[in-house]
Amino acid sequence: MPRLFDAIREYLGTLKRSLAESLFALLIGLLIGAGLMLAFGYDPIMGYISMLKGFGIFTIEGFLAVLAIIALGLLLAAFIGAYWAKIPQALARLWRKKISGRSISLVAIVVFILFLISRMLEFLDNVELMEMLAYSVPLMLTAITFAVGMRAGIFNIGAEGQVYMGAVAAAWIGGHFALPTGLHLLAATAFAMLIGAAWALLPAILKIRAGVHEVISTIMLNWVAFFHVPYLIINRFAGVHAERTATILPTARYPILGASLTAVIFVALAACVVVYILLWRTRAGYELRLVGDNPDAARYAGINIRRAILISFIIGGMAAGLAGASQVIGRPLLGWTLPATLGTVFGLGFSGIGIAVIGRNHPIGGIFAALLFAGMLNGAKFMEYDWGISSELVVAIQGVIIIALAIPALLAMSRRGVRRLKIRRGPR
Amino acid sequence: MKNPLKKLLSSKRKGKKPAVARKPRRGETLVRAEGIAKGFPGVWEHLILDHINFDVKAGEVHALLGENGAGKTVLANILSGFYSLTKGRIYVKGKPVSIKSPKDALELGIGMVHQEFTLARPLTVTENVALGLSTSNFSFPLSEVEKKLKELSERYGLKVDPKARIEELSAGEQQRVEILKVLYHEPEVLILDEPTSVLTEDEAKSLFSILRAMAKEGRGVVFITHKFEEVFESSDRVTVLRLGKLVGTMKTSKTNRRELVRMMMGGEISLPKKKPAKVGKIALEVKDLHVLGERGVPAVRGISLTVRKGEILGIAGIAGNGQSELVEAITGLREVTKGKVLIFGKDMTNRSPREIADMGMGHIPEERRRIGTAEGMTVAENFIMKDYRRSPFSNRSFLNLPFITQHSKKMISEHNILVPDLWVTETRILSGGNIQRLILARETWWEPRLIVATHPTYGLDLKAVKHTHELFLKLKKKGTATLLVSEDLEEIFSLSDRIAVIFEGKIVGTMDAAKARVHKIGLMMAGSKG
Repeated sequence: MPRLFDAIREYLGTLKRSLAESLFALLIGLLIGAGLMLAFGYDPIMGYISMLKGFGIFTIEGFLAVLAIIALGLLLAAFIGAYWAKIPQALARLWRKKISGRSISLVAIVVFILFLISRMLEFLDNVELMEMLAYSVPLMLTAITFAVGMRAGIFNIGAEGQVYMGAVAAAWIGGHFALPTGLHLLAATAFAMLIGAAWALLPAILKIRAGVHEVISTIMLNWVAFFHVPYLIINRFAGVHAERTATILPTARYPILGASLTAVIFVALAACVVVYILLWRTRAGYELRLVGDNPDAARYAGINIRRAILISFIIGGMAAGLAGASQVIGRPLLGWTLPATLGTVFGLGFSGIGIAVIGRNHPIGGIFAALLFAGMLNGAKFMEYDWGISSELVVAIQGVIIIALAIPALLAMSRRGVRRLKIRRGPR
Repeated sequence: MKNPLKKLLSSKRKGKKPAVARKPRRGETLVRAEGIAKGFPGVWEHLILDHINFDVKAGEVHALLGENGAGKTVLANILSGFYSLTKGRIYVKGKPVSIKSPKDALELGIGMVHQEFTLARPLTVTENVALGLSTSNFSFPLSEVEKKLKELSERYGLKVDPKARIEELSAGEQQRVEILKVLYHEPEVLILDEPTSVLTEDEAKSLFSILRAMAKEGRGVVFITHKFEEVFESSDRVTVLRLGKLVGTMKTSKTNRRELVRMMMGGEISLPKKKPAKVGKIALEVKDLHVLGERGVPAVRGISLTVRKGEILGIAGIAGNGQSELVEAITGLREVTKGKVLIFGKDMTNRSPREIADMGMGHIPEERRRIGTAEGMTVAENFIMKDYRRSPFSNRSFLNLPFITQHSKKMISEHNILVPDLWVTETRILSGGNIQRLILARETWWEPRLIVATHPTYGLDLKAVKHTHELFLKLKKKGTATLLVSEDLEEIFSLSDRIAVIFEGKIVGTMDAAKARVHKIGLMMAGSKG
């Protein structure tokens, strides 16, 4: 056990700095937001309490439950950190029925913590929590797009267009083909990811073959998608309503878990974990990060830089495509359709940039940042409903909080940039 | 509207110029530095400057001579306020002063021209000069600046069009702008860091005559160099630094090239016991190699050399004579324009770095932070840069983290590398010496058949230097062929079996190490024919 305590201390130690920075930034953001509310004659404390409702927190018990879950989650992470190498062995031993004291205690602790978390979740079984989770799904995915790009040294801001393309691809397969139950869902999801990746492939190829800067090409392709997708919806895929796609067939819908939350959240979370493993546990991910950190060193190490850039675009495109699909076949919006106004998918790609920055360009950090963002998004309606705070002001308050949260990461990023410049130009 | 502002500005500037109350006498000591020491975070145990005394007199041109890493630039940066000093005192005209920023230094009459240009390229000359004025927060006193610039450039023959944009100017003209930028502040001491490195021969000549003119006016001029010609052509006194220590200051007229070579390179070279090479087949062969440098000018101009198995070939030369480009061409990092590189008899000209490394070559690069390591990644991740594709570092597509940990720990203990945490510490926070040890470990642990190493012991302490030399000699015994590039003659002599001297992109001589003489090699490095 002493090893576990060491691990907890170490884990919190590594988290401490970024955690403290983020909390401090959050506090500053909240204070400025409060100032805004005061300036316009609203009570900031009541306003923020209303915002908390967006996180599914209506009572003190709910608030405490959330805190407890966070604490237990950290504990679980530390536990896995301490014993991650031993867990498979312990499980294997159990499997082979060679039961030792250690393996039993290991498994028992994991089970106990999971049980505690599940009990806590009962406390939080409410519609607004589900709604928050539903909001977070596309955001954590578009955050991956930007984060993976940044990890490879690429400023990929094309998630917006890739989301549109993914959404319309999912709507096409989901609404116009009759396929068996499981297969239909799978096909629609896979096709959306494929089209998202294909849309990301264009700037990737332009970058690799002709040196076109990805910011230019992705912004232009965002616009192309913005006008092309409504055209497709109205002229090709419209159903009963002329300005919407045909309704997604029930076989292509993700099962609803509650409110507008569907099982697509499990796909999204899995995607985050897969991207994490890909980046930090595989050769391709290692190459990608090396290219992003220092292209000169990557060349020296014999890495094919173009391939690494291509892979980062493809991963990003797939994530964005999945984000688009999640809004069409993974959420009952407008009766399972995609409108030609793109109202249900608009802005997701750009929000993903901010979320990625807050999550320090890490797919797992992105999950938490997306949850926070989603809660605030969902809480906006309560601020307006309870206290009549105008929606524009609510957006401004959210913006202030997001910017404040992004500042520590942005500072770190600019420091890194300056450092690289210094090394490039620096003393011999 | 313009006039009151101008008035305000000029009155402000007048108020800020108390330093030049009286014109200094010729020969008066303008700046004196006593016992200057400088350490950097992470390498406190290793002083970059070790208690240096230095002074500049009115009316003299003072050359600051030394090899790379001798501490010349650091000393200049301390005097001009860019670096803080760790220990020591600075006196300006006999009064002790503390220089905390370049602005302080300028107000005390000390200005520095850096080796790298610090100009905003899209702006005009006048605008660039105005940018540096502390009073130009809200307005640009452009016409005033332009007038003074014209006056200054006429006075010193520094011909520059004040209205020209920087990007239209040649390197030489840009340097004149840099000088004007400093001269605008009327400094009494002007320091120039390697001013001729970007100049053509003619431009350099005119620069030195300008420096003479300034000295004649009673200013003190200091220039940093590693070229002997410049010292003899243009300086009154010369100060030699070596490895952060002061070797001596003397009148230029009372010394000679041979003495300076000895002072700069270090006279006392003790040859360690290296066993004669048992050479085998040719490992690396370079035939009539031509390579372009960073600015598109030829850097390697027809080099041919061979390195055999079990042999160390030392390439001696002062930095900037084409050795970096030669190494980059051999290792596949730079394009070969003409000629051939054969590795173990196979033509590897212009192949990718990976293909060349897979032939069994280890490469210890010159710029360890720029290309040798990825500084934002962890130490363990830097240990596997060359090996991550191989089993057991990775199996199929996945990295084998337990093995990587075990391997890195072994490297750390074998090479005495100080690392707080393998998987958490970013390589950026390691000191230069530790990074160098990391690279050495990574490039030699698998006993490569061929090593290309540039300055392998640069920045290491004596114990680590010994360890590294033993490593190279051990590998040599096992039949590794080594191409060793170094400015450090001591290193070249103690390791090499043969020595080739490179000068201006050509090999000017190759000889047996046993028969070579230090001073002769030194002279060849400085451009004298054999």
